Amino acid sequence: MHELGLTRNVVSIVAEHAGGRKVRRVRLAIGPLACVERRALSFCFDLVAEGTVLAGASLEFLEAEGDTFLIKDYELEEAA
Amino acid sequence: MCGTCGCSDPANAVTLTDPDSGEQSLLRQGAIAGGAEGHHHHHHHEHGHHDHDHGHDHDVPHVHGPNGEVVTLEQAVLAKNDQIALRNRGWFEGRGVLALNLVSSPGAGKTTLLERTIRELAGRVEIAVIEGDQMTAKDAERIRAAGARAIQINTGAGCHLEADMVAEAVRKLDPAPGSILMIENVGNLVCPAMFDLGERMKVAVISTTEGEDKPLKYPHMFRAAEVVIINKLDLAPHVDFDQELCRANIREVNPDARLFALSARSGEGLEDWLDFLAGEGRAASLREGA
Repeated sequence: MHELGLTRNVVSIVAEHAGGRKVRRVRLAIGPLACVERRALSFCFDLVAEGTVLAGASLEFLEAEGDTFLIKDYELEEAA
Repeated sequence: MCGTCGCSDPANAVTLTDPDSGEQSLLRQGAIAGGAEGHHHHHHHEHGHHDHDHGHDHDVPHVHGPNGEVVTLEQAVLAKNDQIALRNRGWFEGRGVLALNLVSSPGAGKTTLLERTIRELAGRVEIAVIEGDQMTAKDAERIRAAGARAIQINTGAGCHLEADMVAEAVRKLDPAPGSILMIENVGNLVCPAMFDLGERMKVAVISTTEGEDKPLKYPHMFRAAEVVIINKLDLAPHVDFDQELCRANIREVNPDARLFALSARSGEGLEDWLDFLAGEGRAASLREGA
């Protein structure tokens, strides 16, 4: 239900961390008790990423334990 | 922290109202998670306070070159909320305030239960209330009429309270040492389960008119609650409510939950809840400074 807000968090955290560099991929670690719907995150991600350094980036999920909901890592675009 | 939920309008504002003075302040204006909010991003190994294994995958290449670099972040998406919640919790403990996060679907009777509780405990325990609703200050006015101080938070389109809203309301409310702070969350059995406010425990309210199956349908909320109150017992015979089945369903998702069955309207079963509350309040005030 609140995946759009959560996706905004993910995008804003990664965009700030990347400091203007283009991001190619973001990996989230999500536990079974995190109350987070992956399909909803994926759906929101493209919309939220538009116009940011994450535009066009892929969103991947890693299995985790308990209520884990982490941005595991992100991969930067190779500099042109 | 995200300002708003998936259902929200980005132009949505979160406001805080003091029904005593009528004073209203703006907590957030059209809040979209923004880079300017000062997330602490440089803790590359921020683990939050969760007790799980992060299993650092060292088979994953961490290429730290200028091209195609993989940057390990390990940042909890809700880290900012969790940090503020932790600060709230420390403040409550240091002051000996028992903070409870009341959650339920809309109309389960949280406000009526609070009104009754405030009246019954008048003179024994001081209670202050933070009211969370999407719109209107009606609940805070009801609480004030029942004899307790209250602050209303209006989340606009937001479907739950977050820790920073509670922090701001607590600054205004300034609950006394040894008092009980009731945080009445937005009526919603889904989203509030996910956001720690810094409370000592969540108290879930389910009413007989909702049906016995709600704990199975919304397990996250009932699992997150330490106490579950079955309310509107006076209506049970009219809606064919099976209390044993409801208890079994709660137990199935949360075997450790402490259960109370009562009617906030008729007063049936209220004593056990009031005794529990007064006892927890005393325990919290004794832990003060410990």
